[in-house]
Amino acid sequence: MPFSDRTGYRLPASRARRELLAGLLATFASVGCGRPARPRRDGNRTVVTFWYAFGDLVRKVLLDLVERYNQSQPDVVVRPVHQGDYFEALAKLRTAIAAGVSPPLAHVVLEVLPYLARAGVLEPLDGYEGAGELGLVPALSQIGSFDPGAPRITVGVPLNRSTPIAYCNARIFQQDGVHIPTTWTELSDAAKTLTQRSSGSVTRWGFEVPISWWYWVALMGQAGGRLVEPDGTMSLGGAAGEAALELWQRLVRTDRVMRPPPGGDYQAWQSTSEGFLQERIAMMWSSTAFLRYLEGSARFPIVAAPLPRASRSSVPTGGTMFVLVRSAPEEEKRAAWSFVRWMCEPAQAIDWCTRTGYMPVTRRAVAALGENGFYVRHPNDRVAIAELEHAQTWPWAPDLFRVERDIVEPLLQQAVLTGRDAHEVMQEARELAREPA
Amino acid sequence: MIPRSRAHPWWMLAPTLVLLAAFFIVPIGVAGFESLFAWDLLTAPRYVGAANYRAIVAHGWLLAIALRTLAYSVLVVSGTMASGLALALLVNRPGRLFSLVRASVFSAYVVSWVAVALLWMTLLDDSGGLVTHGLRAVGLGGVSLLGDPRAALPTLAAIGVWKLTGYSMIVLLSGLQSIPPSLHEAAALDGAGAWARFCHVTLPALAPAAAFAATTTLVTSFQAFDVVRIVTQGGPARATQLFVYAIYEQIFLDLRVGRASALTVVFFFLLLSLAWLQLRALSSSGRSS
Repeated sequence: MPFSDRTGYRLPASRARRELLAGLLATFASVGCGRPARPRRDGNRTVVTFWYAFGDLVRKVLLDLVERYNQSQPDVVVRPVHQGDYFEALAKLRTAIAAGVSPPLAHVVLEVLPYLARAGVLEPLDGYEGAGELGLVPALSQIGSFDPGAPRITVGVPLNRSTPIAYCNARIFQQDGVHIPTTWTELSDAAKTLTQRSSGSVTRWGFEVPISWWYWVALMGQAGGRLVEPDGTMSLGGAAGEAALELWQRLVRTDRVMRPPPGGDYQAWQSTSEGFLQERIAMMWSSTAFLRYLEGSARFPIVAAPLPRASRSSVPTGGTMFVLVRSAPEEEKRAAWSFVRWMCEPAQAIDWCTRTGYMPVTRRAVAALGENGFYVRHPNDRVAIAELEHAQTWPWAPDLFRVERDIVEPLLQQAVLTGRDAHEVMQEARELAREPA
Repeated sequence: MIPRSRAHPWWMLAPTLVLLAAFFIVPIGVAGFESLFAWDLLTAPRYVGAANYRAIVAHGWLLAIALRTLAYSVLVVSGTMASGLALALLVNRPGRLFSLVRASVFSAYVVSWVAVALLWMTLLDDSGGLVTHGLRAVGLGGVSLLGDPRAALPTLAAIGVWKLTGYSMIVLLSGLQSIPPSLHEAAALDGAGAWARFCHVTLPALAPAAAFAATTTLVTSFQAFDVVRIVTQGGPARATQLFVYAIYEQIFLDLRVGRASALTVVFFFLLLSLAWLQLRALSSSGRSS
């Protein structure tokens, strides 16, 4: 193979080989060194790479806001990079942090904050300019989302926050004379009435909810349980956790009024939404995040409602928090923080929530929406805000995310789909959860 | 050709050996080392000895994954070989129509797993998929092919068979076309009918091609990941959690590098054993022929 330098002069083979080798080594070294020590700049502007995990409508709204931010000031340019769904994005973020090539700004699901905070990879935010003046809705802030015993150091700022709500097909409810259920008993009765069968097979399901952790936590809380006891024992709700699972088993296996949606993770959520929009499901539970999408896509009126109660009303909060990666250059972190602050300003917080269905994360945004009559015009949007009164806090448990994904979720599916005894399943889940990671 | 020095063959082999070491031997060594630690990529690794191996064996988890993967592979290999042979026999004749059929069947093999997975997800969709409609039409509307733990693995295997049949068809077709016509003519002169010729001439002569197709399909099916990741994510209730997906899930989703490494080591030795068995079978069939 002929080797030549930039002028086209043919080099001796040995020297050419040495130069080729040096070039390769330099390439590997530059990759291996990971994050550049200096902040990235585009002209005079600091570049903030922002890894996000939204699709469809929410993605469009986010990109619009980023574009608006980039045009609103001359110092910072935010470059959003899509990284798949929440779990894919988290996997990539962890790998990137370990490899030293992470972006300065990302957003992660709430339950993973304790784990990332314990690993020391998140930037403490309390010292940043204006951190104490964001005016966050207490139940949606990091401090308010976790048990009172959690560390008081802020590492996350709410971006998209949600609760599960009930979506009802108002036309079917009216036709069948069914009232929106407010208790578990009413839920079962309503699902029975709303389910339609033809020659033995179901043509319309009365109720559907993904067999997943978030909704089980809601049910467990409604039955009066808590994930972690005050002494730190991972009880997974004890008898309440079993009662939640038994309700699902009854609806799916005994009454046959609920379809367990196929697929895992967000595929099951998507499948539930599709079934609801096609009127093959009369009532479903899903995140408030889908509100605008569902209202815009449905050919029937949708009524949103709070989840029913058992011994009490209870919902978990969900969604993600902005996080700054600690190892990022200082200038990039400051620039990323300016974007986070800007997103918390009322105009952006209102735009974000009214165009998606997520909850407004600041008190000023909530007040402004109330004052301008938004909740009167859009009563479905008020449901999630009202549910915050019964929001359960999450335990500050670094293993929580692992317990959720690796233990509880597969066992819940197994119990619902195969009919395995709920007590036995939850007992196994508790034992596995208490094993060292 | 006689090398001019003892080092020459090694120099010729060096690029391959370097790549083999860099991408296979060293990573397996690293996985073996990391399997002795509890590590989540972000915090300091903690030495735990054989605890990761004990953990994957506990509760029958490893056995379940191995059996599940084996069941998937058996379904895919047997389905692919049967349909590949049937199609090869069908299209082993001249003419444009048969060329078109050959190309059409083989095209599925060329398409990426991701595209195949997305296509089948649409077809199998519970709400409006074509297959679901078809099942409803024949009175099997209650079956959720991807939502029922008993049906999900065979459904996934069926997707694999659909994708890989073109490959086995082409390999078996080449085997069929390499059988000398004189063998069939001689058997016919001896009074052998079509079925007897198929059993006693075609099948034995196809054995090397079939062994090759089966071996490569077995390896491919053991490495199944994309289709699991996209279609079922290992669910429902872990019914489709195959080996490679379990490794991915442990390391990237469940934050356990050590346990994923232990699974990788076990998987490596499992594949090594299978490859050894296959090679033994191939060499013994070579000796007997």
